[in-house]
Amino acid sequence: MGQTITEKILSRASGRPGLRAGDEVLARPDFVVAYDFPGYTDVIFRQMKDEFGIDRVRDPERFVLFIDHMVPAVTPQEEDLHQNTRDWGAANTVPVHERRGIGHQVAAELGYATPGAFVVHFDGHISQLGTFGTLALGVRRHLLEAFVKEKIQIKVPATTRVDLTGALQPGVMARDVFHHIVRVLGPSGCRFQVLELGGDTIASMSIEGRQAITCLAMFTGAITAIVNPDEVTLPYARARARLPLEPVSSDPDAQYAARHRIDVSTLEPVVVVPPSPANTRPLAEHLGTEVQVGYLGSCASGRLEDLRAAAQVLRGRQVKPGFQLHVVPTSQEIMQQAAAEGVLTDLIAAGAFVSSPSCDYCFGRIGVMTAGQRAVSTGTLNVRGRMGSPDSEIFIVNAAAVAAAAIEGRIADPRRYLQG
Amino acid sequence: MALQNLRGRVAFVFTEPDFDVDQIVGVKNIKLRDPAELAALAMQAYDPAFGSLVRPGDLLVGADNFGFGHPHYPPMIAMRHLGIAGVVAESFSPGYWRGEIAMGFPQVACPGILGFVRRWDELEVDWAGQRILNHTQGTVIACEPLSVADRQMLEAGGIVGYLHQRDRDDTRETTDGPR
Repeated sequence: MGQTITEKILSRASGRPGLRAGDEVLARPDFVVAYDFPGYTDVIFRQMKDEFGIDRVRDPERFVLFIDHMVPAVTPQEEDLHQNTRDWGAANTVPVHERRGIGHQVAAELGYATPGAFVVHFDGHISQLGTFGTLALGVRRHLLEAFVKEKIQIKVPATTRVDLTGALQPGVMARDVFHHIVRVLGPSGCRFQVLELGGDTIASMSIEGRQAITCLAMFTGAITAIVNPDEVTLPYARARARLPLEPVSSDPDAQYAARHRIDVSTLEPVVVVPPSPANTRPLAEHLGTEVQVGYLGSCASGRLEDLRAAAQVLRGRQVKPGFQLHVVPTSQEIMQQAAAEGVLTDLIAAGAFVSSPSCDYCFGRIGVMTAGQRAVSTGTLNVRGRMGSPDSEIFIVNAAAVAAAAIEGRIADPRRYLQG
Repeated sequence: MALQNLRGRVAFVFTEPDFDVDQIVGVKNIKLRDPAELAALAMQAYDPAFGSLVRPGDLLVGADNFGFGHPHYPPMIAMRHLGIAGVVAESFSPGYWRGEIAMGFPQVACPGILGFVRRWDELEVDWAGQRILNHTQGTVIACEPLSVADRQMLEAGGIVGYLHQRDRDDTRETTDGPR
């Protein structure tokens, strides 16, 4: 009987061939990734030293740190945190990347999304490295284990396989596909499992679209998502890979906990209504809802195809006076390309407020709403208080729909702006 | 070292599936750190008298996918400060589960628990027997076993204790040769 890609990766990382879902092993992460955040990295650095007497991590080349939250700093305490991270990185010869973009994206740009690699982070959105056939887990405070020990204890997860079929309608984007998956499988449909994605829709989907979907795996209950490497992802990933690993894929006779086939050929744009990422609804049911804020960005959706779609909607048009449209490209690499293409020019000309890459809009550190305000957002999450007051609301939509709402000041169907 | 059975009353039953634990202290308080301050704010939206009713050792009961969303640590910091000894739910969201197990806070997955308890029933979580006893109603229900790592982490009181235990095991292994 064959193995899933997840079982193969953990078999290699643990040195125990033939692992199956349910086996418990010690596995060595190929890469340990984190961004600095109070209560995580500062605590880990302190506990390493104070609790375990470890001054330096073993194999510093396995570690990488990002400074992407609280960028730019607005208090001395935030800058203290960053300085502590820089100092720790320098002392440990661990690279610290700052102002290059959101770490989950930059990690892929820098080759940490090596196909076949096993990666851990405290944050679950690292799942998006699964786009490249990398097994990337967000383990919260268990990350300390990877800083203190070479291997971490892990129970090999079962896998739910989802095959997406059909070509997407114009105006339907990867975000719609993901939130439709949540609608079909439910918010606990893949609980404690890996969401493995395939099918002809995925095969013809861009890397960026796949990143948007795998980024959000946690909202199906999954601990990560993964796609078998293919001709779309391998050229990108191989050119940047940091390890000479042989890419692996699920065997045809691999054992899955469940298999689903989801036809997305008739899917229409969706909206995820507050206050839960479980609330996928047809966008058509919420047209006309007044909104004052738009956020186009995040580790899920602030990539070139998102920026291009928004620019296509906004080109030659204007953001409604008083509407706050925040556009935050996911990385500097993406922002530079968007500038070169003239996409940023179109967005700025339309009245968008374009910022350099940062996580801060997504988690309500800047650009916040007051009570009673509503946003359309491509951010990761729509829970209460995520972008300001607990009495503000977040409607998650695709990038084109954020742009359409910015024109009208209410939730709008982007498709009429995309024609012609 | 074996896990001690949990024994306590059902201090509250959260019947909402996909429950976002941040609601326990209120989203606007989610950045507070002080346990006493958080405890004073806990459950105001559900039962303002909660803090005066709860006793050390009491348990919480939840529905399916308990902890869904984007769970933060303060709600259960508040609950532990009030003496809550663990959570039993139909099932858990993985991020929440991992976070609280790392804090050494017992979590028990028990499909059927909602129909098995009423508020203030006296429960006992029998880890070895993989079952939960309802001493008030005289009934028993099976619960799911913990993974080896999760059990070790709870036995050690959380991630730091668990890693110290691994250090001790490693030392023993080096001294005695591989096992």
